[in-house]
Amino acid sequence: MDFELPEELKMVQSISRAFVTEQLKPLERSILGRAADLRDATMYLPLEKEHELMGMVKEIGLWGISIPEELGGSGLSTLANCLVEEELAQTIVPFSFGDVTPILFNCNPEQRERYFLPVFNRQKYAYLALMEPGKEGFENMEMRAEKKNGRYSLNGKKVSLSRAGEDYFAVVLAKTSPERGPRDGVTCFLIDKGTPGFAVSGGREKVGWEAQVREPITLVFDNCQASAGDILGEEGKAFYLGSKWLPARRIVRSARCVGAAERILDESTIQAQTWTSFGQFISGRPSVQAALADIATNIHAARLMVYEAAWKADKGLPIRREAAMVKIFATQMIHLVADNAVHIFDAPAYVGGLPMERFCRNATAMSSTNFALQLQRSIIARDILKGLKI
Amino acid sequence: MPLREQTDVEEVETILNEILNTNSPPVARCRLLSSGFNPGHTLNIIEDIGGHKECLACGCCVDACPFLFREPSRRERTEQRTSMALEVIVGADCDQCDACVLACPQVDTTIKNYIVNRRMIEVMSRLEQRIGDEDEPDLDLFLEEALS
Repeated sequence: MDFELPEELKMVQSISRAFVTEQLKPLERSILGRAADLRDATMYLPLEKEHELMGMVKEIGLWGISIPEELGGSGLSTLANCLVEEELAQTIVPFSFGDVTPILFNCNPEQRERYFLPVFNRQKYAYLALMEPGKEGFENMEMRAEKKNGRYSLNGKKVSLSRAGEDYFAVVLAKTSPERGPRDGVTCFLIDKGTPGFAVSGGREKVGWEAQVREPITLVFDNCQASAGDILGEEGKAFYLGSKWLPARRIVRSARCVGAAERILDESTIQAQTWTSFGQFISGRPSVQAALADIATNIHAARLMVYEAAWKADKGLPIRREAAMVKIFATQMIHLVADNAVHIFDAPAYVGGLPMERFCRNATAMSSTNFALQLQRSIIARDILKGLKI
Repeated sequence: MPLREQTDVEEVETILNEILNTNSPPVARCRLLSSGFNPGHTLNIIEDIGGHKECLACGCCVDACPFLFREPSRRERTEQRTSMALEVIVGADCDQCDACVLACPQVDTTIKNYIVNRRMIEVMSRLEQRIGDEDEPDLDLFLEEALS
């Protein structure tokens, strides 16, 4: 058993670490805002700055690390993706190395030119219109695409949490065969901006004390016409899109939890070594030491789980169970870490405008699909019941 | 709230197994196999209702049903919260988890004990099949994609 990372992965890790430290972390203040009332805080970096950073990452050859080579990306391994994601998660600056949802990897050559490449180069934004207002899952989807004379008429309402932009298109899930179950009767359509019957509202950033809060985008389809060429993948097979890549994304997302937790530990350590109470640094207090030790232990355990699952994914082994375990543990870990950090910080973790506050917020956001943890437990339990060795 | 003298499962085992193996909520038929209502739990009324086996319409079986939890739209088809309603709205889609039987206050403890001690292992393997196949798409991955 060798726990040493290969040389090329160490290099990827060190390059991305240097990029985050030198380029992204100094931008944290512009994201958090400078004024006392946080009026100049923003959700995203200015577009020019983002394109400048994008150019730098392209130069170092890491743009599109999660994108397969045949689609123009670097096509790095899951483990490499985890290492980069871990570094990127150590800052609150929202920037990725050319990440595109694997749902779009199934684009045909024409769709690739029209949709995938502009998204990859940040010229167009993909609004993932998968969820519906007031619905938790996909079981009772109301959005319909009725087929008439070879064309589809889309009707319904969707909400999206994707980043809003000037030029955009919607990745819409709609039922084409309502009589069939959710796994087989749903089709994915790509609907471009300006298509008659397709309207978008919301997506604005809120200012003031709620500066970091973004309004979800509402997408309304009123008799919106689509052709067979607008279908992504096959009709009725929406949930089979990106199936080769999506399970590994769960592991990469868990690596994000590890990275964020690592930064929380760093910030907590600095706080413990500089903050005094009753005449001594709080780092001397056993309760603070215990909190730091708990944070470090949990990060270490989560990191090992992430790396092992990523290694398995790269070997082509089945990872559904491992990904489920990693998701459960990493989600709970980041909560515990944020909780302990709040104890070490006392109040400042709640104060807006500090990186710690944003990290603790993100910790909660990471488990926004927490209700689905039960499903992950079911996946693990199924393998146990089958008698498979865990 | 069954009688003190409850149904001896050995006497009804064959028919009970038949009921539990049928792909439909078994609660109503298990209730009919039970000893009936214990008057010790009633207010002082003239009518003797001891041994009556009617559904109390408490709705416990409807609340316990995992299928209705997954598909709440089915539950909304009726206001009724009886075992008859459960049979109608769930029908052959029953998971056969027997949770409705365990939740029913009218079913004898002897029958519930039999289910827990002798049938639960079978139930678990059936439920395990229902969790979904490895090859089936994991819809949660799409939800995560939309949220992150």
